[in-house]
Amino acid sequence: MKRRQFLRRSAAAASVPFLLGGIPLTALGRNQQLEALTAGAEDRVLVLIQLNGGNDGLNTVIPIDQYSTLSTARSNILIPETQALNLTNETALHPSMAPIKGLYDNAKVGIIQSVGYPDPNFSHFRSTDIWTSGSPATETWETGWLGRVLDMDHPNYPDGYPNNSFPDPLAVTIGSIVSTTCQGMSTNLGMAINDPAAFQQLLSGGTAPAPNTPYGDELTYLRQTMNSTNQYLSVIQNADSNGNNLSNLYDTNPSRLAEQLKIVARLISGGLQTKIYIVSMGGYDTHANQADPTNPVTGIHANLLHELATAAEAFQDDIQQLGIADRVLGMTFSEFGRRIASNDSDGTDHGAAAPLFLIGNQVNPQIMGTNPIIPAVVDPKDSLPMQYDFRSVYGSVLMDWFCIPEATVKNLLFEDFQHLPILTSNCFNTSVEFTPSDQLVLTQNYPNPFVGETRIRFESQGGEILLQLFDGRAARLRP
Amino acid sequence: MDEPTLMRELKASPLEIFRTQSTLNPYAGNWGYEEAAHLLRRCLFGPTHAEIEQAVTDGLSLTLDKLFTPAPAAPPPLNAYFDNDLLVPKGQTWIDAPFGPGLNSYRRNSLRAWVTGLQINQGVSLTEKMTLFWHNHYPIESGVVNDPRFLYRYFKLLRDNALGNFQTLTEEITIDAAMLRYLNGNQNIESSPNENYARELFELFTIGKGPQIAPGDYTHYTEQDVVAAARVLTGWDDQGHNSATVAIESRFLSQRHDTGDKTFSAAFGDQMIADNGDQEYKDLIAMIFAQAETARFICRKLYRWFVYYKIDAQVEQDIIDNMAQTLINNNYDIAPCLRQLLASEHFFDPLNVGCLIKNPIDFNVGMARQLEFQIPDAATSLESQYRHWLQIYYNNNVMQMGVFAMPSVAGWPAYYQVPQFHQNWINSVTLPERSRIATRFATFGYTKTQIRVEIKPLDLMHIPSNAPDPNALISDFVKLLFPQPITQDQLDFLKEVLIPGLPDYEWTIEYDAYLVDPNDQNLANSVEAKLNSLLDTMMNMAEFQLS
Repeated sequence: MKRRQFLRRSAAAASVPFLLGGIPLTALGRNQQLEALTAGAEDRVLVLIQLNGGNDGLNTVIPIDQYSTLSTARSNILIPETQALNLTNETALHPSMAPIKGLYDNAKVGIIQSVGYPDPNFSHFRSTDIWTSGSPATETWETGWLGRVLDMDHPNYPDGYPNNSFPDPLAVTIGSIVSTTCQGMSTNLGMAINDPAAFQQLLSGGTAPAPNTPYGDELTYLRQTMNSTNQYLSVIQNADSNGNNLSNLYDTNPSRLAEQLKIVARLISGGLQTKIYIVSMGGYDTHANQADPTNPVTGIHANLLHELATAAEAFQDDIQQLGIADRVLGMTFSEFGRRIASNDSDGTDHGAAAPLFLIGNQVNPQIMGTNPIIPAVVDPKDSLPMQYDFRSVYGSVLMDWFCIPEATVKNLLFEDFQHLPILTSNCFNTSVEFTPSDQLVLTQNYPNPFVGETRIRFESQGGEILLQLFDGRAARLRP
Repeated sequence: MDEPTLMRELKASPLEIFRTQSTLNPYAGNWGYEEAAHLLRRCLFGPTHAEIEQAVTDGLSLTLDKLFTPAPAAPPPLNAYFDNDLLVPKGQTWIDAPFGPGLNSYRRNSLRAWVTGLQINQGVSLTEKMTLFWHNHYPIESGVVNDPRFLYRYFKLLRDNALGNFQTLTEEITIDAAMLRYLNGNQNIESSPNENYARELFELFTIGKGPQIAPGDYTHYTEQDVVAAARVLTGWDDQGHNSATVAIESRFLSQRHDTGDKTFSAAFGDQMIADNGDQEYKDLIAMIFAQAETARFICRKLYRWFVYYKIDAQVEQDIIDNMAQTLINNNYDIAPCLRQLLASEHFFDPLNVGCLIKNPIDFNVGMARQLEFQIPDAATSLESQYRHWLQIYYNNNVMQMGVFAMPSVAGWPAYYQVPQFHQNWINSVTLPERSRIATRFATFGYTKTQIRVEIKPLDLMHIPSNAPDPNALISDFVKLLFPQPITQDQLDFLKEVLIPGLPDYEWTIEYDAYLVDPNDQNLANSVEAKLNSLLDTMMNMAEFQLS
């Protein structure tokens, strides 16, 4: 059963990659073109918003041109077309996400369609590991994608940290557990902060070197955590007391996520030089009661998206008023999307690709990629195949936000990295050109479904072409 | 910029740490306070000084006999102080009482308190620590299950089987009413299978996930097996959830059951399971338990719970494989393979002593036990007793280990999250919490219903063999509270905390004066204050975090 195909142009080694099936040239009108911003990235901040559980992309960014087939596949949870919030003629948002539509209309939100990876894994834990490590689905990497970035500049951390050059934490998770995205080769380079004001001094009681045994190893870890907690104590408390929050929207829709983002805004405005913050919200594992079938715009998922959208709106409002919005970029991620078809519990089971949101002044405020295509007949096991590899999203952020060269990005992530024009900032003065979709002709493969062999016909204006075939389970097929 | 060599392909570089070479051969070495303390630290939540002394007297074999004796059935959790449960007067249990609006909250707290009470009052038995092991292995979350009566039944099932048979427990938990709700087994029907439980049954509860060797193929099982297992498990439902009239039970609805043949993948030799109605789930579990990997999977988890999280090639070959063989030889009875581990040279290998980071329950319940908190008994004040137990639950929870408050179906990250495992308990939020709570018990404690619970160091003076000697006093508390000796510098540091700037004999004089006149309150207060700061400092040291 092979019924989906994608044509994608991979980034060539040259600095002017082309992108097929991406956004049309005209869509870039609002920004004239992607500007080459060579300004330094020293004070830029990335805020990751992790959506734990696997967000249902099809009810978040709704392909309204697919309603006829969608209504067959997920009638009990489908948002009525009249209530969806249109962003374009083809694509709409869940009605709980009006604040995100507002940000989009103000050119502060970019959406990337169908982000995933080629061999989907339906385990929460494994897929979370894949997303946080940036590994291929077929390999286990013990480091996090941001941990590897930080390791490059800070190979000895935590020895000698903090210091005059790096007085502040390298990465901060708001919560009680440090994020595995910041796991480095020998230690996690992030630290957790729940309440900056409650941060307290710890005693260590002993500085003699620990023995070279497992006991000594763990003792050293404990002492290092104590020491770094102590040493970062004053800088965090200074940032907390010097910082500020100016938006009153946090209180309009109070939530745990809003509280977390409020702390982030306060610490940034207070001068903390930390470049990476990670916040999170859970509850996206909506196997049951995702939506109320009698009124599908309500239910668990509607509440989750409302919390996400209102918290993001409050944060963006706050950093605008604080005058720091130009150097802050937000990005959501979730371990997977969900199945195309809903289940009889008014929920959805573990799926594959899903949309991803970028939020900030310097995002390319577009919907990148095409709507997913919902077949007329959907097997309960069918998931959405990826259009964009999540590692290409990560790598594009590293290149255009943190000014990390493409060769290094490939080293940190993967060889097939595709530079995506998702930000208007651009460290390397490169441009990305888009081939209008009418210059690419890709016709339905025949036969379809097929076993063993099929034919695919396409026309392009030349250049390097990558064809990938996915089956209904969203897994990439190999020749 | 220097280009690191394919950094993405590098694994965490192994630290140059000595690793064990020991095996499961029975341990026949020295048996003294240190060895007894090591065994009891790992098997109990913080052994008391008296328990360690008794184990020294009993010897290894008798101590193991005691540890493997299941604890007696526990009286059920009670309504300790809630006024508005018209059906359950204070002092009575609510476990079979009808649901009523506004009652779940106090009942849930009663249950959390009661579990904490069982842990604090554990005898020398593995029951409570193994019950917690199973809770981590088959997690549920009260926020999802949301009926404390379901939670109680689930917990009792784990506790009754804590030292029993892994296969039997897996069968029971598969159709447990709380688990049917937690992982949507009650929504798994022929016309619309729900795979949630089936997937976790393979991935988390029995055989575990191997490398992904092809799309949907996780070596030990495949997506096909998840689908087939979900079909096997169709038809189960729970009854009585938040009901005032319907009794709680699991039931099998044959009309919801998929009676077709279910074919499994090559990972299970292409086996087929035919319709067997309400017994069919046992056929599925038997098929999974026929795989040796299932035994290895649970033995690795036991190893990480009782010994250490690092499993290298030597441990895999000499320990895990042999434990797994013992488990299989005993038809998945847990006790023989666990006893083999706990009685082994490997368990008592000096390299395995003191390397386990205490989980929050080890930390908090262990503190209550080792520092002999005087929590009132029910006759004195049932309300105060439950409120103190609940406070310790809250302290566990703020350190990320609340019972029935699992972060996810995988259990606590410290037991699966590579590469740091147990180190996940310790970070810049949880470590200050440990510090804060230890200091609170060493200073003003907690007062519940007019009764204060705090560390009373003068009541602990039976622990040091020679309390008037400050060196002996410190040394004996080190032996109780720390898993390995500390350096002379650290001992000196602690003595400076106890008697700042004073010679040893000043402690002897002060303490002897107190012994001569224990009713001199001023004298007692000054001695107590010095001991409090010693214990407070010790509990704030990194060594106190290790077991």
